[in-house]
Formats: sequence, C-alpha cells, structure tokens
Amino acid sequence: MTKVETGAGAIYEKAINLEKVRAAHKPLAEKQTVREADGNAAAAYASLQMWRSVIFGGFPITPSTKWLETVAAVVSSGKVGAKQLKLLEAEHAVADYLAGAAAACRDLIVSTATSSVGLDHMAESVRSLGASGLGNILLIDVYRATANYPLCIEGDPSDTLAHRDSGWIQICCRGIQQIYDTILQAPCLGMHPDIMTPVMPGYYGIKDSHKSSRLLLEADRDIHAFQDALIAPSKLPGLINGDTAMGNCVTSNLFQGYKIDQKQRMENVFKVLPKIGKLFEKQFKRPGLEFVEKIRWPKDDAVDLAIVGMGPDMGTAASLTEAMQEKLGIRIGVLAARLLTPFPAGEYSRLLKRAKGVLVVNQAHHYGRGHLGLDITQACYSLDSRPAIVNCFAGMGGAILSDATWEEMIQHTSRAVKTGEKLTPPVVVHEGRIEWQG
Amino acid sequence: MARVADIIQRESCFQPGSTLCMGCMESIAFQNIGKLTDNGKKTIFALGTFCGEVSTLQYPNPVAWGRGETTPEKWEKSFGVIHHVFESAPGVAEGIRDTADMLAKMGALSGPVQVAALSGDGGALSIGLRTLLMTIHRRVPITIFVLINEIFANTGFQFGPTTSPGSETSTTPVSELVDGNPATPLDYIGLTVAAGAGFVAQVSPAFPKFFMQTVEKALASSETAVVFIPAPCITGWKFGEGETVNLARLSCETGFFPCFVKEKGQKGQIKFVDLDPAKRPPIENFMGPQRRFHHLVKKDSKTDTFCMRPGKEAMMQKIRGWIQNHLDSLNQLT
Repeated sequence: MTKVETGAGAIYEKAINLEKVRAAHKPLAEKQTVREADGNAAAAYASLQMWRSVIFGGFPITPSTKWLETVAAVVSSGKVGAKQLKLLEAEHAVADYLAGAAAACRDLIVSTATSSVGLDHMAESVRSLGASGLGNILLIDVYRATANYPLCIEGDPSDTLAHRDSGWIQICCRGIQQIYDTILQAPCLGMHPDIMTPVMPGYYGIKDSHKSSRLLLEADRDIHAFQDALIAPSKLPGLINGDTAMGNCVTSNLFQGYKIDQKQRMENVFKVLPKIGKLFEKQFKRPGLEFVEKIRWPKDDAVDLAIVGMGPDMGTAASLTEAMQEKLGIRIGVLAARLLTPFPAGEYSRLLKRAKGVLVVNQAHHYGRGHLGLDITQACYSLDSRPAIVNCFAGMGGAILSDATWEEMIQHTSRAVKTGEKLTPPVVVHEGRIEWQG
Repeated sequence: MARVADIIQRESCFQPGSTLCMGCMESIAFQNIGKLTDNGKKTIFALGTFCGEVSTLQYPNPVAWGRGETTPEKWEKSFGVIHHVFESAPGVAEGIRDTADMLAKMGALSGPVQVAALSGDGGALSIGLRTLLMTIHRRVPITIFVLINEIFANTGFQFGPTTSPGSETSTTPVSELVDGNPATPLDYIGLTVAAGAGFVAQVSPAFPKFFMQTVEKALASSETAVVFIPAPCITGWKFGEGETVNLARLSCETGFFPCFVKEKGQKGQIKFVDLDPAKRPPIENFMGPQRRFHHLVKKDSKTDTFCMRPGKEAMMQKIRGWIQNHLDSLNQLT
C-alpha cells in the first residue's frame, strides 16, 4: 500500500476504496423529478442523494424532526443503498458522534439537523468542530428561537446567530428549492482544501420547514457529477486511512497561529463560494450560492431605500415594493442575506453605496441594534456617503410579518432618511405598529 | 491468547515523550495497552480530555502516540488518535466505529480496524456518564478504557464521583469539622454491567499477567468492553517516588480497587483480594503512604507501621463499610 507523507502524518492511499462507496449508493432519483416537499424533506433528500453521505446522526427537536424522520424512512427502505443513521441520546452526543465519523474518513460527508436549544446543547462540540478543519460535516439548523423563557417552537434565527462565532460557515436559505440546492452545494464549500470548515446551512422553522411546495429533485448522477467536479480526495489523513493525531493541545504562544489559519480558511470562502454558485447555475439552471440574494434590485444599485433581511418573509417585502415606491416616490430594493458567516461586508458595502437609507430587519432578539444590523452598519461604515441605517426588530419568535408591518418599517425608514439621522434607535414593529423604541 | 512473553516484545503505540508525571500509572498502562493493540489491526484511539490527553498530545512537544520512530510502512501498524471534548470519547469512538463498519460493509476497507476510547474517571463517570452508559447500551463494539485516579487531576485534584471516602481533595478539604470527602464512590462497575456491557473489568499493571490477558480479551470483544484502570496519582494522592506500583497492588488487595472481570453470560471473578476482611491487609497500609489520608492515618514510630489517628474511628469505619459493601456487591456478580 502506497504511503504518502503529509504535514499532518501519513496517508495510506488504498486503505479506503472510495469507488466502492460510490458504487454502494443507489439513486433516490434516476432523473429530474418534480415532487411536493416541505423544507425538512427537501433538506433530507439532498442529504441522502450525495454518494459521499453515508453516516447520519440525529436526535429529534421541533421543528427539525421531519428531517430525521425522512432520513430514517429512506435509509431503512434501502432505497439509497448502504447508509447508517445513528439515533443518539442527545444533541451533544450527535455532535460528538459526527466528530468521530468525520475524522474517521475526511472524504465522506456526515450530517444531522437540529434546532434551537438542540444546537445550544451541542455548543461545546460545535465550537470545537468549527476549528477542527473537518469540513465534511453538515449541520442543518432549522431556525427556532433559542431562549426557553418562554419556549417558542416557531422560526426565529436566534439559534444560528448565537453561533456566529462558533467557526462554521453559515448560510441562510429561503424557500424549499433553495434549501435543497444549498445543501447540495454546501459540502463543496466546506470540503474545499483551502477552506476545510464545517457548514451550517439553515432555514426558518415552520415558515419553511413545514411549508410544502414544488421541489425539483435532481437526478443523483447529476448531483454526483457536480460534486465530483468540486470535491477531490482529501490531502490530509483521516483516522482510518492515516497515521495521524487530531485535537492536540498547544500553549498560548502557538494558539494564535491556529486562529490565523482558521481565519484565513474562512476568508477563502469569499473566493470559492461564487465559483461553486456559478457552476451550480450552469449545470442546473437555477441560482447557485451567492453572498446576497438580490430579490428585487437594480443592476446599477440605484436605490433610495434598501431593505436587508433574511428568510422567507423577504418575499413579502419584495411583493410590496412596487406599491410602496409609488406611494413614497422613492426607489426601493430588497436583499436577502445568504452567507451569514463569514459575513460578506464588502458585497453589502458595494451594493449599498448609493442607498440613502437601509432598513435592516432583525428577526432574532438582540440587546443592541440586532445581529444583522451591526454587520450592515459595519459594512456601510467605510462608504463615502453613509446611508441612514434603521434597525427594526420584527418577526421574532417566528411572528408573521404582515403587509402592515412591512409598510410601517418602510415608512419609518423613509422618515429617518428625511431627517438625515444616520443611526436611529432600534424599534420593535408588530402588526403595523411600533411597539417599542430603544 | 498470546503469550505475555510475546506481547511484551510488540511495538507499543505509546512512545516516550509524554509530559505525564514521573511515576504516573497512566504511562505504564498506556505502554502496555499500546503493545496489546499491536495485533495486526489498524488502531484508532478517541481521547476525552484528561491527563492522558493533555500530557501526550501537546504540540510542539513530541506527540507520544504512534508506533515507531516514523510513520509505519504497513497500514495495519498505523495509528490514529483524536482528542475531542472532555466527555466525548465513547461517542467519538462510536462515530469512528460506525464509519469503519460501513466502509467494511461496502467492501471499501482494506482490513480490520479496532477502536478504543480513553477517558479519565472525571470525563467518563462524572460529566460523561450519560455518553458512557448510552454507548454501552447501544452495544457498540469498541473498547472503553477509563483511568481511575479519583480526582479531576488536570484542574488541581478536585473531588469526583470516584473519590474515596475520607480523601482530602482541593474541594473536600480537611478541617476541624470534616474529615475530607464525606461521600462514597459511584459503583461504576455495577453500572456498566447493568447497562449491558459485553465485557467489564478492573485491572492494574501491578498484576501484569492479568492485565495483559484481560485487555487482550477486551479488545477482542464483539460488544462494548469497558476496562477500568485504577491509576495512583503521584501528585494528587501525594505519595513518594517509587510507590506507584506498590500502591496499585495494595489498592486491590485492601479492597479499594478490587481487580475484577466479567464477560456477558458468564460469572464474574474478583481477583487478588479476599472477601474476608480479616484476610486482607489493613487499609492503613494503602492509606498511610498518601498525604491525602494524613488526617486519618499516621505512622507509628515505634512499630514503623501505619495506624489510625485517635478519634477517626467513624470515618475509618465508613471506609471499611464501603469497601465491604462494594466487594459484596461485586460478589453478587460472580
């Protein structure tokens, strides 16, 4: 058996025959198929169609449970060939299990889905994995409010936003097709040799996890062709095919070197992500990964008022812009955040350079101006002409963002633009009314 | 069964270079476990956070794990080790095991893989008890080694669920009001047997032949094997140089840490300790050389033997009672 020395130990090249793994996969879809699916099922199908995706772990928590049930049903049917779903005793155990599986073979994809306090329960392990270099882990986060006083099971991204510093690439999805498409692309990003960072795709609980709509399911062979063009065998040894040590201790004088490496790998996402997105679009004729989704946005970036938010409610905002433009006599653009971590500040800075006002909609509780609000403010700080930035909290706990709420937030921002105030106090808006002002 | 004389000729996966304390029993145990794993199977260890991890995987010190001076030419001699979070070793090992088994099922693996989890007693029996018991409950074919030194040693010798009664630790200090630790230890052997382990043993390198034979059986178990290794801690227990193996032997013979082995479906065996307290060495012999028991036991200068300090009858009786109860409980499994 050929031995190849690397900086992290030796790789024994024929210890694992990946062709046998590929051959053991059976397709879920022989050809492109239209199905009706909710967000959880769409995420599960994507997870199951990848030939490298062999090991799954899970523990049920609302609203992510149907991902687990769908994986369980398909794996137990044998339809997709040899796959292993391990049902563990808690989310922390799931994360530990995935750590072992991912480290055992860096060329396989291991995945789970969780929500809310489930993600928090994994926190110790998740934060370690974020720095581990194990980019072959997919942690699908179905957004749900984190705090349990009071408990609320609906969609609110406070869980994922609490883990912005956990070291994972975080991508927000909206809509069933985008969930599916994002999960197919995510391992290409995480397993890229210049990135090697685990990925946490996410989508709103209930609003997307439990909403059924049309899903275009791609043929497994086309998915494999797409991924195989982007995922090469790992250049670092795993525990099975290598002579290696992982998870060492270091003293303070070396620690920062590891962090620089981690930062650099994360920075590389900005170079690699657009390439993956373009390849996806070329092959599947749908938008691929991008930093920001321009739902309604002019090519010349000429907007008076920009709306920035995340998740399925951004569609409602886009549907109202035409009427609001006429009513207020201003040009309105709508952006939905896709890449949350690393935050593409440069992209927002470029897009918002001509805006007079920016309405940032924060759907997760935050003591200050909102997670997204702070990031957007930072992105606009270097602009020659800074827009007025208005931070609204709305839809927390998965509350509905009604037309009246959107109209009030847009009018509130428009008023701020007129007064020339660059940074207004945050407000909470619900059912068309400002309920609280900071 | 391989002959002990042959086993000791094998190449250990634990090499010189660790920063474990001089006289640490963990080092002795690792060297011997390392030789036993040189059995033609690819070896992978998952480590929780404990002395045996922070003192062996600290970069840029030499990583003490690995077979040979350089990476082995043969894959089956190669060694993989991962440290994840404190309590995680059995769970991480389970992920590795399942991955290897799936690859084998697909015909994608070129040979057998053996997987072991290594933890301290704090990691396995305190913060990680749930993971330990649930991994056993799932019958995962891995070998779990738990090094028992009764304390959280990395953080400065604090009380843990295996701390002996009367022991002084950083968080059970001795005062005029209390004689050290007031609690009795968790029955970890009983728990792991009840959880369904295929093989449960308590062994010590102080009894080398038993150690070798038992660990070899554990590594060959088709279900979860759990091996507890009492590890006298020179800095935490506070004893003099050269006493490690002697104390390990006495810890068994006095009943603090009885050697034990039980395979599923067979009767257990208590080894090297008599169930009759009159036939066991006095517990003072084990306690006396350790400063953690200084408030209970002293050396009689006239007889040069260890004896109980006056007024400490209640705690000493408590210790004797716990030992007897534990031995009787183990005897129920034999």
